[in-house]
Amino acid sequence: MFWPLAALYLCWIAPERGWWFPSEAMSPLGQRIDDLFYMILIVTTVVFIGTQIALGYVLWTGARRTDPGNEETTWFSHGSHNLEVMWTIVPAGILLYIALYQIDVWREFRMRPYFPQEQMTASLTRMGVDTDVPGDRALAEVTARQFEWRIRYPGFDEDGNLLPLMTDPQPTDLYTVNDLHLPAGVPVMINLLSGDVQHSFFLPELRVKQDAVPGLVIPVWFQAEKSQTYDLLCAELCGWGHYKMKAQFVAEPEQEWLQWLRELHELQNEDGVEETDE
Amino acid sequence: MSTISPTVDTHAGHGDDHGHHHDPGFVRKYLFSTDHKVIGIQFLITTLLMLMVGGALALGVRWQLAFPWESMPFFGPLFASQGGQISPEFYTMLFTMHATVMIFLVIIPILAGAFGNFLIPLMIGADDMAFPTLNMLSYWFMWPAILFFGLSFLFGGGPAAGWTSYPVLAALAEAAPGSGGAQTCWLIAVTFIGVSSMMGSVNYMTTIINMRAPGMTLFRMPLTIWSMFITAILQAFALPVLTAAGFMLVFDRLPWSVHSTFFVPSGLVVNNAEPTVGGGQPLLWQHLFWFYSHPAVYIMLLPAMGMVSDMLACMSRKPIFGYKPMVYSMAAIAGLGFIVWGHHMFTSGMNPALGMTFMISTIMIALPSAVKVFNWIGTIWGGRPQFNAVFLNCVAFVSLFIVGGLSGIFMAAVPVDIYIHDTYFIVAHFHYVLFGATLFGVFGAIQFWFPKMFGRTMSDTIGKWHFVLTFIGFNGTFFPMHLLGVAGMPRRYADPYLHPYLEHLLPMNQLMTISAILMGFAQFLLLFNFLYSMRFGEKCSRNPWNANGLEWVAPSPPPHGNFESVPVVYRGPYEYSHPDHSDDYWLQTEPPGAQPGAKPQAAPA
Amino acid sequence: MSGKPLLIIVPLCLAVFMTGCGSSGIEFREREETAELIPPAQDYMEELLAEHFGSPTASVAWEKLPINYHAATATVDEAGESGSVTLANIGRTLPINEGQQILWFVDGSAHSGQVAGFDEDLNALTVSPPAGADQNWAPPAPGARLTIGPGETLQQGRLLYAEHCQHCHGVTGDGNGPTAEYLEPRPRDYRLGKFKFTSTSTVRKAQRDDLARIIEEGIPGTYMPSFKLLTEEESAAIVEYVRWLAMRGETELRRIEILTLDFRAADAETQEELDEMIQEFAEAKEDDFPNDFADETEQIADSWRVAQEESSVVLPKTPRTPSSPESIAKGREIYLSATAKCVTCHGESGKGDGPQTMQVAKDASGQNYPVPGLHDDWGRLIEPRNLTTGIYRGGRRPLDLYRRIHSGIKGTPMTGFGTSLSDEQIWDLVNYVMSIPFEDRAPGEGPFVPSESAPEATVAKSE
Ligand code: HEM
Ligand SMILES: [Cu+2]
Ligand SMILES: [Cu+2]
Repeated sequence: MFWPLAALYLCWIAPERGWWFPSEAMSPLGQRIDDLFYMILIVTTVVFIGTQIALGYVLWTGARRTDPGNEETTWFSHGSHNLEVMWTIVPAGILLYIALYQIDVWREFRMRPYFPQEQMTASLTRMGVDTDVPGDRALAEVTARQFEWRIRYPGFDEDGNLLPLMTDPQPTDLYTVNDLHLPAGVPVMINLLSGDVQHSFFLPELRVKQDAVPGLVIPVWFQAEKSQTYDLLCAELCGWGHYKMKAQFVAEPEQEWLQWLRELHELQNEDGVEETDE
Repeated sequence: MSTISPTVDTHAGHGDDHGHHHDPGFVRKYLFSTDHKVIGIQFLITTLLMLMVGGALALGVRWQLAFPWESMPFFGPLFASQGGQISPEFYTMLFTMHATVMIFLVIIPILAGAFGNFLIPLMIGADDMAFPTLNMLSYWFMWPAILFFGLSFLFGGGPAAGWTSYPVLAALAEAAPGSGGAQTCWLIAVTFIGVSSMMGSVNYMTTIINMRAPGMTLFRMPLTIWSMFITAILQAFALPVLTAAGFMLVFDRLPWSVHSTFFVPSGLVVNNAEPTVGGGQPLLWQHLFWFYSHPAVYIMLLPAMGMVSDMLACMSRKPIFGYKPMVYSMAAIAGLGFIVWGHHMFTSGMNPALGMTFMISTIMIALPSAVKVFNWIGTIWGGRPQFNAVFLNCVAFVSLFIVGGLSGIFMAAVPVDIYIHDTYFIVAHFHYVLFGATLFGVFGAIQFWFPKMFGRTMSDTIGKWHFVLTFIGFNGTFFPMHLLGVAGMPRRYADPYLHPYLEHLLPMNQLMTISAILMGFAQFLLLFNFLYSMRFGEKCSRNPWNANGLEWVAPSPPPHGNFESVPVVYRGPYEYSHPDHSDDYWLQTEPPGAQPGAKPQAAPA
Repeated sequence: MSGKPLLIIVPLCLAVFMTGCGSSGIEFREREETAELIPPAQDYMEELLAEHFGSPTASVAWEKLPINYHAATATVDEAGESGSVTLANIGRTLPINEGQQILWFVDGSAHSGQVAGFDEDLNALTVSPPAGADQNWAPPAPGARLTIGPGETLQQGRLLYAEHCQHCHGVTGDGNGPTAEYLEPRPRDYRLGKFKFTSTSTVRKAQRDDLARIIEEGIPGTYMPSFKLLTEEESAAIVEYVRWLAMRGETELRRIEILTLDFRAADAETQEELDEMIQEFAEAKEDDFPNDFADETEQIADSWRVAQEESSVVLPKTPRTPSSPESIAKGREIYLSATAKCVTCHGESGKGDGPQTMQVAKDASGQNYPVPGLHDDWGRLIEPRNLTTGIYRGGRRPLDLYRRIHSGIKGTPMTGFGTSLSDEQIWDLVNYVMSIPFEDRAPGEGPFVPSESAPEATVAKSE
C-alpha cells in the first residue's frame, strides 16, 4: 500500500519535469481557472492523503490484530449514526462551496451578456472600425475543417478603413490557414464554425476550449496577455487527421495587427506585376 | 499477519452428487441452458475472452503513443499496411474498438451478466431467475453484437468515431474510413447489447422483488443484491434512450428515402461529397447518448461496489459499516446519475446556463461516493482482515476509487473542465473508476465466488501475484495520465509529438506503455489460474470463506435448482464476529438459538 | 509457485521489444506494368532503380539529378590558418552545424573532414580532420568543391515525409498510402512528375516554391491539409524528397514505357518467341540501354532544371484590371465564348456541370474510359471546379487565378489559355470568376445581426 506515496511523489516532482501545465495561464481568465484548479488540488490532496492514511491505518491495526497470539477481539459494530452524519455534512459543505465559488468564472467566459463587450467595442473603435453597425464584435471567423483551421478576416474598404466582420463572406475578406492573428492585451472575439464534422478550438496556454459544432456559429472570446505565439489545436475527435490540426495563434499589439492585416491584404490582392515593373 | 486460505472440504465431491435429477444433455446443459448459474458462467468466460481482445487493442494504442509510426510487433502485419506501421485511421479504429469492447462486451456484461446472473438467485434464496428463458436469450443476444462488432472490421478498417460516436463524424459515411458500413454495424451491435441488457434488467428486477426467500426482507439483502437491483432500474430507464438514439442515427445514415437528418445540419461538405441538406442538430445526439451513458458509468460501477462491500465485510470478519447509508448512497448515486449527463458537454456549445446546473449536480454526486468510501474504511476498521487475494483486490478498489472520485471533482468544476476536457486527464479519471475500481472489484469477486461456481478454489498465490503485477502496472500506466492531461495532451491523438509543447512527454508515455505491457501479461496469470483451477483447483466445501450469505448454504457448485430446500432467513448478511455467537460468522439461515458454532448446513429438509 | 510467474513474464516482455526494433519492412513499390515484362526485364528494372535510388531507408544520392541532397554545398574561396576557409557559392538547404561531415575531391580522390565551426556572417568555415585521420590530412584548398552534410537533406526529408505525408502519398509517392483509399480526390501520385498547381508555364514542371507553397497552404477543398508550422528548412527538405520521388517515378516510367513496347511477356505467343525476346533483351541491354537511359535521365534532369529558371515563371505583363461591373461582364462574355469555351466544362452558372462532363473521354492509348466524364492524366475521373463555392485549390490570389487560366492545371483537361487570350482578357475572366460566388449578393451586403433575445452563445448559420 505504498502507492499513494509514489503517486504524491510523482505529483510533487511533476512540475519541475515539465509534466505540468504547458505554461502559466496567459490570460486573466486562464489565471482564475488555474487558481480554481489549485484550490481543488489542495482540497483533493488533503482528502487523498487523509483517506489513504485512514485506509492504511485500519489495515495496519487490522493486521496487528490477526497476528498469532493477539487476543484483541474484533470490534463488532454496525456503524455509527453520528459519524455518518458528520461525514455527509462536512464534504457536502466543501463541495457546495467549490461549486458556488466558480460560477462567475464560467458566466464571464461563456454567457454572452457577461462578455466584456465594452472593451471589445473600444478596441474596435481604436482601430477605426465603424462600431455603429449593429452586430457582434468578432474579429475573425475560424472555420474548422478536416484537418485544418481556415480563418477569415474582415478586409479594408477603398479608403483603407478596416471593415467589420460580416456573417457571410465578402469580396473584401482576407483569408489565412492555420494562422490566427489577433490583438494582444484586449479581449478579442472570434466566431467559431465547422465546415464538416465536430472539432474543438483549443488554446492550451490560454485555457480556452470550445467545440466547433456543425451548423452553429459560436462566439468565443479570450484575452492574450503577452504578444507572442501560442499553440492552437483540435481537441475533439474529427477523423483520422485529428492530431494534424496544428496551428498557431499570434497575439500582437493592435496597431501591429492592423499592419499585418494590411500586408495580408496586399498579399491577397497580388497580381504579380509589381516585380516586372511594367 | 496471517492468512486464511479457503477451508478444504474433506468430504470432497459430495456436493456434486446432489440435484442431478435428470441429465439434460450437453446442448441444453451448457449451451442453451436456462440455469442462471450456467448463463452466469457463460457470461463470465465470454467477457474474460473479450477482456483479452480489448486489452490487445489497447496495447496497439499504447504502442503508437510510445513508439509513434514504428512497426508494431505481432499485430502490425495483420492489420496495417506499410510494414506494420499503424496508420492514423487504424489508430482511430484501435481506440474506438478498445473502448467499445471494454464497455459493452466486458464491464457491463461481466457485472450484470456474469455476477448478476450467478449471484442474484443464490443470494436471495431463489431456485432460479423469474424468467429463465429470457435470461438465456439475454446471453445469446450478446453474440449477434459480437458478430456485428467483428463484421464492422471488414468495412474500411472498422468504426472509428470513438465509443461516443458523435455525429456528424459518425453520421456521414464520407466523413471517415470507418464511418461507412462499419459504423452501421457498430450501431446495430450496440442495439443488440442494449436488448440483451434490457432482458437482464427486467429479469433482475422481477426476481429480486418477487422471489426472495422467506425472511429475506429488503433490508436483509446483501449490498450486492441492492446494487444489482439499482443497476437494473438504471438500465431500464436509461437504455431506451440510447436505443432510440441509435435508431435515429441509423436512419440518418440510410441512403434511401428514409435518410432522416436528426443529427445533420445543412451545408456541410465532407470529402468533396455533395453538401448536406438537413436541419438536424449534432448536439441532440450528445444529449441522448450521455443521458444513457452517464447512468451507464454507474451501471459499470454499482454492482462492483455492492460485491466489494460483501467481500470486505467477510474478509474483515466484521459487519459492514453503515448498511443503510450504503443503500441510500447507492440510491442517491443512481438518482443523481440521471441529472448530470451534461457534464460531458461543458465545451460542446450547449446553453451555458445549463452548464451551471450540471456542475452543481455533478459535484453533489461526489457526496454519496464519499460516504461509501468512508463506510468501507469503517468496515475494515477494527476488523481482523485476511490478507488474501480477494481482500487485496477489494482494498485496491477502495484506494483507487478514491482517486477516480477526486479527479471527478476537477472535471465537474466547469471552468477547470474547459481546460482538461478531452485531454488525458479524462482518460486517467475513467480508467481509475472503471479499471481501478470496477475491474479490481471483479478480480476479487472472481476469486471469491469461484469456489461456488466450480466447487474448487483458485490459487491464492497466483491470485496475489496477479494482483501485485496488475496493481503496479495499472498505476504505472494510468497515474501519469493525470499529468499528461494537465500538460495539455489531448486524447485520441495518433501523434501528439507533432506539437512541440508535447514533445517532452514521450519518455513518460514510453514508461506507461511498458507498464501497460506488464499489466497485459499479468492477465495471463488470471486466465491460467482460472482455467487451471477449474480442473485442478483444490476441492472445497460449501462455505470455504466462512461467509454468511445464502449462497454459501447451497452445495458447491449448486445443482440445478440451487438449494436442497427453501432456505429461511433469520438475520442480515453481515453478522460477523457477533459477540453472542461463538463462531465469527453467523449464517443468515441459522435459526436463532441453535447450537452455537453449529456447522454450516442447509436449512432443515 | 510464487517465483514462476516472473520468469514467464520477463522473457515475453523482452520479445515484444525485440520484434519491434527488427526489420521495418518499408520498401518502394514497383509500377504495376513491371509485372507484365519478361523476367529478365523485371530484374533489370529492379537493379536499375536500386542502383540509382536505393531503398527508402538507404537511399542513393544520384548526382545526375538536380536535387539538393546535402545540407549545403560550397566552393572554397580562400584558405586561412588551421583549417579555416572562407566559402563562396553557398547553396544551403539545412543549417551548417558543428560535427557535420564535409566531402571534397582532389584530383579525383575523395577527402573528408568535419565542420568544427561556421560563422554565418563571414562565411568562414573551420574544417577539422575526421576521426582517425592520418598526418597527411590537409584542409581543402581554394577552388575545392565542398559537400557539407552529405545526404542530410534527403534523409531529413524522408523522416519528415514518413511522419507527415507517407500514410496518404505512400512510401513510393504513388499516392497509395493506407489512408489514400478513402480520400476524394485521391492524393497526388508523384510518379508522373506532374504537379497540378504551379507558377510555371504550361509545358514546364513545378518549381520548388510551388511545392513549398502547397505544403504550407494545403489544397483547400481536399484532404491535403496545410502544414503551416513546418520551418522553412523542414519544408525545403520535404520538397527535395518529393522531387526525388517524382524523378524516381519518372525514371521508372520512362524506362518501362520503352520496355513494354518490346518486352512484354504477353506479346510472345510461343515459347520460341519468348526465348527470342529474352535473347533480344540481353543484347539490347548491352548495346542500347546504357545510352538510352543516359538520354532519358538527361531529359528528366533538364526538365526539372529548366522549371527552376526564372523564365519559367508566369507573370502577367499588365496589372489587374480593377473589378468593375463592366470588366465582369466582359469576363462573362469570354467565359461563354468559343475561344475560351470555359462554359463547356464549368457550365452556364459555374457549377462545374458543363456538357463535357457528360461525354465519354479517351485515355492516353485512345481507348474510351468506362465512365463518361473528364479524366486526368492519372486516369481518374475529375470534375471541373464548381466556381460558385469560392474555394480555389491552387490559391485565391488574383495572380493564382491568372496562372490557372494562363497555364492551366497540369495533367488535367483544364488547359492553358495564355496563347489564345490577352492579359486583359484573362484579367476580365479573373474578375468574373471571383464575382461568381457573390452573384446573388451586392458587395458588403448582409451584416451580422445577433438576435438580442438569445442568451446562449449560439446562432444558427444561414446558408
Ligand atoms: C465523484 C464522482 C464523479 C464525478 C464528479 C465525475 C465527473 C465526471 C465528469 C465531469 C466527466 C466529463 C469530463 C469531460 O469529458 O470533460 C466525467 C467523465 C467520465 N466519467 Fe466520471 N465522475 C465521477 C465518477 C465516475 C464514476 C464512478 C465512473 C464510472 C464508474 C465514471 C466514469 C466516467 C467516464 C467513463 C467518463 C468519460 C467518458 C468519455 O468521455 O469517454 N465517473 N466524469
Ligand atoms: Cu480534431
Ligand atoms: Cu458522466
